[in-house]
Amino acid sequence: MGKFSLKGRNWKQFLSDNKPVVVLLILIITMSFLSDRFLTWSNIITVLRQTSINAVIATGMTFAILIGGIDLSVGSVLAITGAIAASLVASGMNIILVIILTLLIGLVIGLLNGLLISKGRLQPFIATLGTMTLLRGLTLVYTQGRPISIFGSDTSAIFSKIGTGYFLGIPIPVYIMLVVFFISWYTLNHLKIGRYTYALGSNEEATMYSGIKTDNIKLFVYAVAGVLAALAGIIVTARLGSAQPTAGSGYELDAIAAVVIGGTSMAGGIGTIFGTAIGAIIIGILDNALNMLQVSSYYQDVAKGVVILIAVLLDRKQRKSR
Amino acid sequence: MNKKMYFALALALVLAVGLAGCGTGGSDNGGGEGGYTIGLVVSTLNNPFFVDLRDGAQAKADELGASLIVLDSQDDAATELSNVEDLVNQGVDLIMINPTDSDAVGSAVAAANGAGIPVVTLDRSANSGEVVAHIASDNVAGGEMAGEFIVEQLGGAGMVVELEGIPGASAARERGEGFNAALEGTDLEVVARQTANFDRAEGLSVMENILQAQPEIDAVFAHNDEMALGALEAIKASGRDIMIVGFDATDDAVAAVEAGELAATVQQLPKDIGSIGVDTAIKVLNGETVDEYIPVALELVTQ
Amino acid sequence: MEEKIVSMENIIKEFSGVRVLDNVNFNIYKGKIMALVGENGAGKSTLMKILTGVYLRTSGKVLFDGEPVDFNTTKESQDKGIAFIHQELNLVRDLSIGENIFLGREPVGPGGKIKWRKLFDDSREWLTKLGLDEDPRELVKNISVGKQQMIEIAKALSLDAQVIIMDEPTGALTMSETERLFEVVKELREAGHSIVYISHRLNEIFEICDHVTVLRDGTLVGEEPIEKLDEDRIIEMMVGRKLSEQYPRVDTEIGEVVLEVKGLTNRFVENVSFQLRKGEILGVAGLVGAGRTELARTIYGVYQPESGEILVNGSPVSIKSPKDALKNGIAYLSEDRKENGIVLGMDLVENVTLASLGNYVGKIGNIDKSKERESTDRYIKSMSIKAAGRNQLLQFLSGGNQQKVALAKNLDTNPGILLLDEPTRGVDVGAKKEIYELINKYKQEGMSILMVSSEIPEILGISDRVMIMHEGRVSGTIDIAEADQEKIMTYAVGKEVS
Repeated sequence: MGKFSLKGRNWKQFLSDNKPVVVLLILIITMSFLSDRFLTWSNIITVLRQTSINAVIATGMTFAILIGGIDLSVGSVLAITGAIAASLVASGMNIILVIILTLLIGLVIGLLNGLLISKGRLQPFIATLGTMTLLRGLTLVYTQGRPISIFGSDTSAIFSKIGTGYFLGIPIPVYIMLVVFFISWYTLNHLKIGRYTYALGSNEEATMYSGIKTDNIKLFVYAVAGVLAALAGIIVTARLGSAQPTAGSGYELDAIAAVVIGGTSMAGGIGTIFGTAIGAIIIGILDNALNMLQVSSYYQDVAKGVVILIAVLLDRKQRKSR
Repeated sequence: MNKKMYFALALALVLAVGLAGCGTGGSDNGGGEGGYTIGLVVSTLNNPFFVDLRDGAQAKADELGASLIVLDSQDDAATELSNVEDLVNQGVDLIMINPTDSDAVGSAVAAANGAGIPVVTLDRSANSGEVVAHIASDNVAGGEMAGEFIVEQLGGAGMVVELEGIPGASAARERGEGFNAALEGTDLEVVARQTANFDRAEGLSVMENILQAQPEIDAVFAHNDEMALGALEAIKASGRDIMIVGFDATDDAVAAVEAGELAATVQQLPKDIGSIGVDTAIKVLNGETVDEYIPVALELVTQ
Repeated sequence: MEEKIVSMENIIKEFSGVRVLDNVNFNIYKGKIMALVGENGAGKSTLMKILTGVYLRTSGKVLFDGEPVDFNTTKESQDKGIAFIHQELNLVRDLSIGENIFLGREPVGPGGKIKWRKLFDDSREWLTKLGLDEDPRELVKNISVGKQQMIEIAKALSLDAQVIIMDEPTGALTMSETERLFEVVKELREAGHSIVYISHRLNEIFEICDHVTVLRDGTLVGEEPIEKLDEDRIIEMMVGRKLSEQYPRVDTEIGEVVLEVKGLTNRFVENVSFQLRKGEILGVAGLVGAGRTELARTIYGVYQPESGEILVNGSPVSIKSPKDALKNGIAYLSEDRKENGIVLGMDLVENVTLASLGNYVGKIGNIDKSKERESTDRYIKSMSIKAAGRNQLLQFLSGGNQQKVALAKNLDTNPGILLLDEPTRGVDVGAKKEIYELINKYKQEGMSILMVSSEIPEILGISDRVMIMHEGRVSGTIDIAEADQEKIMTYAVGKEVS
């Protein structure tokens, strides 16, 4: 009996510490009453696969927001890396090489963002707004405004498996998402650079005074955001079998929403990868649920906006009462 | 006190999802008895053209007693794929897709094919996957129609401006192709060719810039009416006399043609595309054979 | 018998199960000044935050004018006439004096237009009452901290505050500003206002207060009229034991030169040269703005030297960043711990190891968390840091305990040279002594310590030598045997000692 009530208390404590989980549970329970197709295995798999792209981007965004910054360029990075990946695949290059090259491009773009922000002393919002526009333009130049198909070489089919394939009944992008979550969680909680990331977001001065090169941390953080956006670019391109010059527009906002719903503070220093994962799944479920319920697309955004606000409000209440 | 607030927010959350669902889903769900459930994935519902397409499809579905589920891809191929997957999970009988892009829609078509659900494409075609029927107005023919009209009105010579749609969009490509084909072999010269992304505000600003740069312009062809109407404002403000031809025949554009402000607009019949689409879908589901390509007529609207 | 305007009875406050106030009674008397003293962490701020509605009490009663009251927000307590002037002033620096006084209560005419003339005229009236001739249109950032304090008082008066709570009001004030403040406080008392005066400076309490309430560890030690107390007695009540000696001096054998600075020059300091030996404490005195903090920060690599040399253990070193300084065994305890000493949003463990995380790296590059916990626990024990646990966030610790954590962070880098910048600023009497004892201990262990301080008794109390700075230069160095307050002040103002 005593043991039982203790368990119940831990459960309660967990929920009150993790309001986003409560929102997620409410969504799932409500939905399972409204649609009998919602909690089917195939739909769960679909939601997770759809979520993976935003989740990967949002994980990178979490790093940026944790240091009190932001990366608006992720959608454009996704577009240009996707386009480059598609043309490389179509040219018949080795798939492993394509992936490495594409991620490297993401890394370089991320480092560029980091340099503008650290050495260039630009506001993260302004710097990444600039690269966002610049990269979108470069994507149009590179693609000549046309979509690039990945098909046309022997390796195309293998590449498309990254987005469309399954392993043990679970889609490959879901594995990618889980690996990204795990590595990021480990980095933030068990590596020096992760600790410094939190410290930098909490108090930049004190971090610098502790003998830490804050500029290097910023470079690292934006590089992570760039690489993960490129990874998302690979997944999207592989899923669709072609790279769209307009791909990823507005994705930065979904990523920011996932991060914020997950309880990460826009001021930096507070937040977890677990929260972001929940946030991304909430957004994924919402998109899926509203489709399932045949909500008119005009109302979908209204409902989505309301849920985002409620999720964030719940979290704020929690924080204040501490 | 805190708990109350917490509870209220949680309740609001349930209502936000629940009400949005019931509010719109209720009427459609009823159509299920005996009739077919058809999914319609539209590239965007932020454009009156596709709204008309949906309305045409909805009217036909109501008439034939079928249930129609409409989803909006917001011009994003990945969202489109998600929408199709969601429809597959709902177990609809047939999916009509108005693709955001002919290449990228391949995965979505494949997803439906994989579940054994037949696919009909509307307005834009799919470059891969199994599609039982494609229903569209012929954009190349429409562009050509506009080009021929301008050639005729200008007597075969003059300076023309082409306002292009979103770079890479198939409509922009095809209309431009048709238009330029019509100009070939005439003395018409395209002095400026710029994109205004199918957007009225951009049509205005792009046209303003062109007017600054080009002293002599006789006619403007815009890949859609939104851009044409934007250009019209710029031209009115400049006080110059330039002929404008649009595309799509939206309500605003038709009114402008009647007022003599636009010379012409190419009318697609989006409602027809929608309703023919549903008609074809039902035929497919009833086991009848249908043509692979079903063209929908275009017409030139002039004063 | 004096009349109580506020009486708090049996107040209990718990934060997530931890009791921070236990059955505390507190009174404020009409037209009197009540001193509220206690070490940092004794519960003074918490008690005042409960009174003003920032926190809700767990149990107990609050009576205002004999009526039970229940403030849920600061607005409600303000409306009743209680004003709280915080240590870090709550003024908007980029607004004018007048706008600050009437912030949120601007007089408006029809259509919501602010009546600027009335606002500034009224402001001027309040300023005049406090003996200030500042233009109410002047921006707050352009006036001295002492005057900003007066603006806060003007704001409180304009709110018709019956009770004014002042938290460490003289912390940043000059002598003359402090005197002016006391005159105003006494005038307010004459006019019938009641005042709660929170301060660590006991001489101030004897100068202006009528009663003293002492808290220790969240409990009430006692409330006494000032006549019944003396300084020693108050300290005894605060720390719970007799203070044998405020400055415990230890003598050690002073060794070879560890740090040598030669002709250090940049935009803050000019041609500064000195030596620091093993086991020595070099006190650095001077007026505010003399360049002492800047000197320490230049040695620590925050600011770059334009010319000059720094030698550690006899060999010249290049220090371009704090990282380089730490590599050379130089650590720096900041004068402004919240700004750049500690990370308020992180816990004890994360703060203690922040500068020395490289020593906690495990086999696969991971942080060895159990090793981190062990060393944090060691510091908590050896420095008697008071915290709910090693995972408590720094923002919930008292100033003295935060300072100890900041010191622990420095020590964990195993420095040979410790630069201490105002090591006891904002720290209460008891904790001060503990910090002195820690400094002495490190000195005995052979560390070389440079201590910047504005408190001359502190400099005289524990330094071995005193270096005095004036306008960026070293104006004199005195051995402790010959040092006294007068000599230090003479050098500090840039005069030669005859």
